[in-house]
Amino acid sequence: MSKNKSKKKISRRKFLKGTGAAFAVATAAPALEAQRPANGSASAVADASVPRTTIRVVINGAERRIEVEDRWTLVELLRDHLQLTGTKIGCDRGECGACTVLLDGKPVYSCSNLAVWADGRSVQTVEGLAEDGRLDPLQRSFIEHDGPQCGFCTSGQLMAAKGLLTRNPRPTADDVRAGLTGNLCRCSNYNRYVEAVLAAAKGGAR
Amino acid sequence: MRRQTNAPVKPLKTIGHPTPRIDAVARVTGKAAYSGDVRLPGMLYARVLRSPHPHARIRRIDLSRALALPGVKAILTHENCKVVWGAGGISGGLQYNDEIKKITKHRRYAFNNPVRFVGDPVAAVAAVNRHVAEEALRLIEVDYEVLGFVLEPEEALKPGAVQIWPEGNLSPTAQNQLQPQQTRRGNVEEGFRTADLVFEDRYSTAFVHNAQMEPRVCLASWDADKLTLYTPTQGISNCRSDTARDLGIPEAKVQIVCQYMGGGFGNKNQNQDADLITAMLAKEAGAPVKLELSRKEDFIGVHGRWPTVQYYKVGVSRDGVLKAIQLRGYSGMGPYRKNSGSIGGIDLYQCPNIERVVYPVYTNKTVSGNFRGPEYPQGFYGIESMMDDVAYKLKMDPVDFILKNMTRKSNDEVPYTNYSLEECMRRGAEAFEWKKRWRPQPGSDPGPIKRGAGVSFMAFRSALGRSNAEIRLDAKGQYTVFVGVTDVGPGAKTTMAMIASEALGVPLSKVQVVWGDTDRCPYSVGESGSRTTIQTGQAVIEAAEALKRQIAEKGSPKGQNTLAGSASPNPSLEGKVRAAFGAHFVEVEVDTELGRVRVLKYVTVHDSGRIINPLTATSQIKGGATMGIGMALHEDLLYDRRNGQPLTAGFYGARILTHRDAPEIEVIFIESDDGYGPYGAKSIGESSKVPAVAAVANAVFNAIGRRMKDLPITRDKILGALA
Repeated sequence: MSKNKSKKKISRRKFLKGTGAAFAVATAAPALEAQRPANGSASAVADASVPRTTIRVVINGAERRIEVEDRWTLVELLRDHLQLTGTKIGCDRGECGACTVLLDGKPVYSCSNLAVWADGRSVQTVEGLAEDGRLDPLQRSFIEHDGPQCGFCTSGQLMAAKGLLTRNPRPTADDVRAGLTGNLCRCSNYNRYVEAVLAAAKGGAR
Repeated sequence: MRRQTNAPVKPLKTIGHPTPRIDAVARVTGKAAYSGDVRLPGMLYARVLRSPHPHARIRRIDLSRALALPGVKAILTHENCKVVWGAGGISGGLQYNDEIKKITKHRRYAFNNPVRFVGDPVAAVAAVNRHVAEEALRLIEVDYEVLGFVLEPEEALKPGAVQIWPEGNLSPTAQNQLQPQQTRRGNVEEGFRTADLVFEDRYSTAFVHNAQMEPRVCLASWDADKLTLYTPTQGISNCRSDTARDLGIPEAKVQIVCQYMGGGFGNKNQNQDADLITAMLAKEAGAPVKLELSRKEDFIGVHGRWPTVQYYKVGVSRDGVLKAIQLRGYSGMGPYRKNSGSIGGIDLYQCPNIERVVYPVYTNKTVSGNFRGPEYPQGFYGIESMMDDVAYKLKMDPVDFILKNMTRKSNDEVPYTNYSLEECMRRGAEAFEWKKRWRPQPGSDPGPIKRGAGVSFMAFRSALGRSNAEIRLDAKGQYTVFVGVTDVGPGAKTTMAMIASEALGVPLSKVQVVWGDTDRCPYSVGESGSRTTIQTGQAVIEAAEALKRQIAEKGSPKGQNTLAGSASPNPSLEGKVRAAFGAHFVEVEVDTELGRVRVLKYVTVHDSGRIINPLTATSQIKGGATMGIGMALHEDLLYDRRNGQPLTAGFYGARILTHRDAPEIEVIFIESDDGYGPYGAKSIGESSKVPAVAAVANAVFNAIGRRMKDLPITRDKILGALA
């Protein structure tokens, strides 16, 4: 799981209970780029009591400065404020893995990380897997092997698989099962996902 | 015995070839837009306050502090929102219509008072963001008069039990009659008299949740008097008619959009209270509203498979021929009747004397409703465990017992359009190496790790029926198929494109599909009952024929012109019954010291008629069987008997299977073309779960020599049985 930098270390639960006021920095920092939601619904109501922080984060290869509310989870930032909706929320409590993204190359549940914890780090989502419109070998293999049925867990399975192949480029079937076991699939297409990851690894996916 | 031979199917051009989904790229790049991904300008967020009590009367709700919170835009409660949710609780549990909705005594409102289960909606808030909405829920003060509760169906029927409705706890029929469901054939008393041996036993099954990955979400927007709902539904047409009826507006004023959906397995049939609540909040607030259910709310606030208690009595001759079967069953429906509560299975045995009496009973647990093969996986677990047990008691091989007694629709019954159950059983037994893996003496393996094999079979409805389709051809040679399907996971969109490609005689690349939007697509039956391929697929074939006639008559379109063919077929079976068939064979290994069960080998044989797309069809079988293993071994929504609180509402609590639990599922199709349905296609999706639970349970018996009579077969139960 993620290594949190000293000052940012606080449990999500504790934080949400409102004991995280120590983070209340940079409330007035201007938001750069178009990071505020276009429709303004989520943060247009300027609530001075909500602590905010400006973070620097590399998202899918592009460096961004973003003012976030300290209470936002990483998945909330990605989906609601950066429109990266490929990352899904299946449980919002660290049980299912649908929200898996890579944080500094390692798979994490983005529902169980605060957005501020991504400060100074790099995040890769499913939208960042294809390069210049060329699908990642894992994506091609998922298509050929019918990995996604309903598709809701697919982004998470892909990112967990990407993380696995980065640290173990030639996994066995059991390695794949272990590497993806935090990613539930209720369509229960587990056989297909394992086949697909093994085939991608064979084809030299990195 | 009347039995049709199964002629091999003729190869076709597009159909029958493993084909990746036409929308696969969208699914692996994150571009596929699910309902929760849709945003509208000025959109508010909604949250629901739910009853913390299993049964309580609301004396007073104080909204003043919540309304005073900056950013709160609207709050609904039973006091200001009186919408009846028709599909949520109708007498008889039938898919409702105006007549039934009018006469039913047990109306379920979007907000009820009294509240009757932990999770019954009490209030809903729309606010500028989800954090404010959640904060507002904490500021709503509700004064409850806590009432007594009852959780188990048998207890609920006892004299003196807490009465959930004034008429009592037996859920009435669609005509408000307080009667159980009953089917009779022959005379069971006579059958038991002529039987050499009579066996009796009791089986029970747990409440299990559909647990689809995508939790319920709904985005509602009003444009003057026109309502648009972006909502995950397994049937946009049904969702539209349900919603229009409940809100009292014309169907033409309701648009349902559902493009991609994160699974449903029956949890997203019809419309849901979330749709009505969101629509009413949006109206009240004068802005679009998005309601998101948490995972826990999705478990306790929607529905799951009804738990059952099944008492069987079986009469049989010494040589293993069934003489009589009797079932007395109880189904726990929660406090509202959302589905039939039926218990299926005994209809699949060839037996002259049958009596089935099932009591659908109100309880103060979460509501029960559709879940993959609604009445069968739990019913099959009961009856096929019972029959397996009878086979052992007669010292017969269970495969031989099934071959002797399974359904054949012989004698006076309406015949099947084709019949392949014997072939399913024989091919499966051979591929599985049944004789090698099955232990004639159950529990006979030496040492603490014991292996065993189990078998089960099924037949599942594949009826024909009404649906619609339209196909347009433009001057560039592009064919566009308009079908009101939703792609819930099985791949309906790809299936429809393949059928169109075959029927039109053009490459698949020339076919595109418009789907999932009631304003753009004609009526479709909906993704329930495993009917889409059969019914809407047939409509696509006939629309293609109509278009081809147009082309022959008028020539190919030029410039801005297009040609269109449409069809609304409603075919019938002309006095036959149509079913998909299957048999599952399972080998398990039980660690008798830890109580742990591992599935070692799993072979399935299915006749689902002609297979349109072997790639996606195989995934469906694998998924259904795997889900069945979970239902057999793990899944259970447990309740605290002292306070009626659900204890395991979530993926971990319910313990759905993970990558590490899932064995390799081998899939064998016996293809057939009975002359009905699109190119002979029959149902697939639900049927693969139907026999799985019983097969696993029977394998556990063969391994340890103890009959596990209560689902799920968890470690503690195995250790208890062996103690």
